[in-house]
Amino acid sequence: MLAQKLHLLRHNVLSFVSSRTGSDLTRRQYDVIVVGGGHAGTEAAAAAARLGAETLLITQKIMTIGALSCNPSLGGVGKGQLVREVDALDGLCGRAGDSAGVHFSILNRSKGPAVWGPRAQLDRERYRQFIQSELLSTPRLTVLEGSVDELLVSQPNPEEPGHHRVTGIRLVDGSHPILSSSVVLTTGTFLSGSLFMGQTTSPGGRMGDAQSCAGLSYTLKETLGLRVGRLRTGTPPRIVKESVDLSLAQLQAPDKQPTPFSFLNTHTRCKPEEQLPCYLTHTTPGVERVVRESVHLNCHIQQDAKGPRYCPSIESRVLRFPGRRHQVWLEPEGLTSDLLYPQGLSMTMPPELQLRLLREIPALHRAEIRTPGYGVQYDFVCPTQLTPSLQVKSTQGLFLAGQINGTTGYEEAAAQGLWAGVNAGRTALSLPPMALSRTQSYIGVLIDDLVGRGVTEPYRMFTSRAEFRTYLRPDNADLRLTPRGFEEVGCVTLRRYKKAVSVRDGLQEALMALQSVALSSTRWREKLGNISLSENKSTTLNGLDLLQYKDVSFEMLASAFPECLSQYFEYSQRLKIEAVYRPHCEKQSREMERIRSEESLSLPSDMDYLSLPVSLSQEVREILDRVRPNTLGAATRLPGMTPAGIIHLLNYVLRTGQRNRHTEHRNRSSQKEGEKGQLCASNIPISQ
Amino acid sequence: MLPCSWGLWRSAIHTLKTFRASPSARGLCIPTRAVCDAETIFALSSGHGRCGVAVVRVSGPASSMVLRNMAGLTQALPPPRTALLRRITDPQSKELLDRGLVLWFKGPHSFTGEDSAEFHIHGGPAVITAVLQALGSLEGVRPAEAGEFTRRAFHAGKLGLTEVEGLGDLIHAETEAQRRQALRQMDGELGRLYQDWSYRLKRCLAHVEAFIDFSEDELIEDGVLNQVDSSVRQLETEIERHLKDERRGERLRTGVQVVIAGATNAGKSSLLNTLCQRPAAIVSPIAGTTRDIVETSLDIGGFPVLLSDTAGLRDSSDSVEREGVRRARQRVEQADLTLVVVDSTQLPPDPQLVAAFLQEHLSTVLPSPEAGMTAASDRVLLVLNKSDLVPEEQRERTEGELRERPGLPPACFLSCSTSTGLEDFLTVLQSRVKTLCGDPLSGAPSLTQARHRAHLQQSVQALNQYHQYRDQDLALAAEGVRLALTHLGRITGRVGAEEILDIIFRDFCIGK
Repeated sequence: MLAQKLHLLRHNVLSFVSSRTGSDLTRRQYDVIVVGGGHAGTEAAAAAARLGAETLLITQKIMTIGALSCNPSLGGVGKGQLVREVDALDGLCGRAGDSAGVHFSILNRSKGPAVWGPRAQLDRERYRQFIQSELLSTPRLTVLEGSVDELLVSQPNPEEPGHHRVTGIRLVDGSHPILSSSVVLTTGTFLSGSLFMGQTTSPGGRMGDAQSCAGLSYTLKETLGLRVGRLRTGTPPRIVKESVDLSLAQLQAPDKQPTPFSFLNTHTRCKPEEQLPCYLTHTTPGVERVVRESVHLNCHIQQDAKGPRYCPSIESRVLRFPGRRHQVWLEPEGLTSDLLYPQGLSMTMPPELQLRLLREIPALHRAEIRTPGYGVQYDFVCPTQLTPSLQVKSTQGLFLAGQINGTTGYEEAAAQGLWAGVNAGRTALSLPPMALSRTQSYIGVLIDDLVGRGVTEPYRMFTSRAEFRTYLRPDNADLRLTPRGFEEVGCVTLRRYKKAVSVRDGLQEALMALQSVALSSTRWREKLGNISLSENKSTTLNGLDLLQYKDVSFEMLASAFPECLSQYFEYSQRLKIEAVYRPHCEKQSREMERIRSEESLSLPSDMDYLSLPVSLSQEVREILDRVRPNTLGAATRLPGMTPAGIIHLLNYVLRTGQRNRHTEHRNRSSQKEGEKGQLCASNIPISQ
Repeated sequence: MLPCSWGLWRSAIHTLKTFRASPSARGLCIPTRAVCDAETIFALSSGHGRCGVAVVRVSGPASSMVLRNMAGLTQALPPPRTALLRRITDPQSKELLDRGLVLWFKGPHSFTGEDSAEFHIHGGPAVITAVLQALGSLEGVRPAEAGEFTRRAFHAGKLGLTEVEGLGDLIHAETEAQRRQALRQMDGELGRLYQDWSYRLKRCLAHVEAFIDFSEDELIEDGVLNQVDSSVRQLETEIERHLKDERRGERLRTGVQVVIAGATNAGKSSLLNTLCQRPAAIVSPIAGTTRDIVETSLDIGGFPVLLSDTAGLRDSSDSVEREGVRRARQRVEQADLTLVVVDSTQLPPDPQLVAAFLQEHLSTVLPSPEAGMTAASDRVLLVLNKSDLVPEEQRERTEGELRERPGLPPACFLSCSTSTGLEDFLTVLQSRVKTLCGDPLSGAPSLTQARHRAHLQQSVQALNQYHQYRDQDLALAAEGVRLALTHLGRITGRVGAEEILDIIFRDFCIGK
């Protein structure tokens, strides 16, 4: 009943922007056009609009905006950090997760707060509803249903061959062009996508959706001359819940008290007791047998496109690690859904064999399939052709985000979408583009890895990719990103900013209060009872020192010094985490400073490395010419680059920058991109 | 792969950025604001060989502490820039290392602009090694990376305009020298030991990282961390034992490394025998006689030289000879000076074509085209052997032709069988060796050794952090392993995140 009402409501609200019903309502000129309504596209459109840009989101089907096309979950280890960061920059996915979550848990609870992984199982309907209503209530954002046929670009300036500027798009229905200063492409797996199931192959990027993007592919590859690669991914069959014998699977309960993703939320929409469980089961030798018998009927796994090593289909897992039991998670699809999602059983064999395979697992011995699993192969644009603002180097105003850049995962897509949307908005508003430092956020690590190194398999975030993992924590994403997101970037609303600032000030006060209470270790032992302190009896320790000890909690200190500490109870967990990590973060601060100074020195994108009059070896010249690193920092990470080569390059860039006014101007504006890419130290009261 | 000093130019960037930001900084300005580096560094800054006095420089905030500890200056420091004769002792054992001059330079009136000290000690390798190791044992003091003194001077605005321009070349030269030195040190037993530690440490890190990133979703065996615990403990024990055990340190191959290389039957072994005045290597007219490295220590003009004869370079189907050729190429890469021996009778009879022929020939003998003509020409001598078999007129015309080719390394006609031209060749060789000995970096293995020790010590300290946090906070424990690997990587080569992920995906079935 409730669902039906919401459905009606949504339908009514959405219809007025649909091109079919009201094309005359759509303008012909926007600041930013976002193509695609997935995780990247929705974040991009919302971010651009928050920045103040008139934004148009074009999607094939308005009803699928915010759809979770694969797994019904958000977050995890590394990915949860990304969700927190997107939220800190006022993105959508954190709040959507809090609204749609039906099973919350913090992964890695026992391994240290820096690597905690906030995660939730989601209700697909609720997620979609949240994203759709959020977009519809966003000022300056228009949503249009349609397929883009062509990307409009200016003819290259004869003086700068190969350099284009985006001017807008044209829809498939052949109507008038829609003009804009920036375009964000978030076409996911739809770039020359093909679907695989058994021996059949059909064009498309997702089952049930129209194939498309042929015109776009043409513009990207032929007109703009972008290099593309091919990747593959897949999705498991969806199983009818009733047909599963859950008594044969192991119950996995959620956290008793759900932790919201968003810094704005104190609780989730789903009440603790309403949460749904997950179930764990395992593959059997019978599963392996079915895989082996069906290999010859399975086109997808015989292809050579690169699949991920960490999210492989059950076929490649069994073939790579034979004779093992593999985990299968049976995850709820939502509060009212009658389906289960078998995480770990992504497969591309013919449907009848999929059924046979499932039924080799005891809990699934009577399983029924609602929709079979399938594989997708698609083109991605080699992301080394992008700047750290996610703009295509050769095309002013064209931004790419999500799977089109070779990543996998909702969180990775959302993070890029937000940042591409920010920069598309800034470009349209004639503001300089910005970059995020890898010393300050996982989003920075993600983008730096993509544009600096490129991808050879679908890129997924892991905490092991971050050099400064003990600083890039889920608990402090707001302090790392929100103030700057408001003050410099412009993508954060005042309400969130005020909240972050008050938290920042409160924490700082509390830390000072902790430092102000100092006693000898003997006296501490007397006050707090039997705690083990390694220091000498005479050493004086302050409250912050003491909080580093494993057995000491903020509550204990507050009860010892109620008059000066009890007012900070709300921060007790954050204070404890801060106390433990602060000394380590301080040790790393020199290294962070170094990386930031490298990142801040941009190399002009039109540098002619092959004829640069400096002493560089031919090999180094060719590497630089091929990769065209955006910053000196990226150049140092190139294999084959020498320290002396970097010094020569640096001297050259600075010298020409000072001699040539024109160049100087360009350098400065591109340098700005780098410089803005750092949070200044004053914005980081904690850990610096 | 090699322990290059990346930190060096990075700070240079920092400085350049600083003066770019200043509106008054126009043209290529020299920054006036000294950037204070927290670490104190030291290096041997004199040459070796026939030098009575060696100079060890120290720079950084702990310089005064170093002076107090090692020169027994418990009271006041000496007046700046005044030499003082002191007993120099080991700060830990108080053992007397040498008697020598010490000087104190109060910043900013020093080469680097920082507080600095100099030790002028006796030039013997044992004394130098002892002093360098004693310095490395002090808290907050470490061996300098290549070019680091110059870089600090640059920061402090102590370098002139042309010196700044030359910074890149200087760093190139110093990193190259350090690279060759490290290659020599890493060749053999010690190298295998370090590589093995690095490999095991990488696996430890990969397994901890796998446990952090994947154990919630994947079947990562419970025992994984226990295995890491014992591996880390084992590594700590081994590295500590290595650091304590002085006897097991490999004999340092001191001296200028001169390598004889060239095609088969050019007379390389004859040259070795001629130079060491005894039949150290077997010579025969059969091509491919020498198959392994023949090494001999020599004194050339009073300078220590380690001369190596190598297998003739050719493609061979014989596996023993192929290995000999591989070793020969490796040795050439590590050499301070390469003597490329050419059979004169193979030279084109037209003297005008000889230069091109030799260019071509060098490119097949020397490691890479980059190291070929320009960078390496001061590290290469061409020996045109069997000159007695070439008509005198042709030889003279060829000599004249080659004299006008500055792009080629110096070429000497020589006959090992008649000793004709030997004296001229020895004069050229001696002057090269002398120049090389003046370079404090080439042939100072004790400095490399001190660097290795420092990094190994820091590696062990970092591993302690793993145990300290193992049960409390795995992220911090992992940080300890990461740091240990970074220090070890300074010796064996940097390890990136991708390499760790490769091990994770190889060792575990990550499926979700």
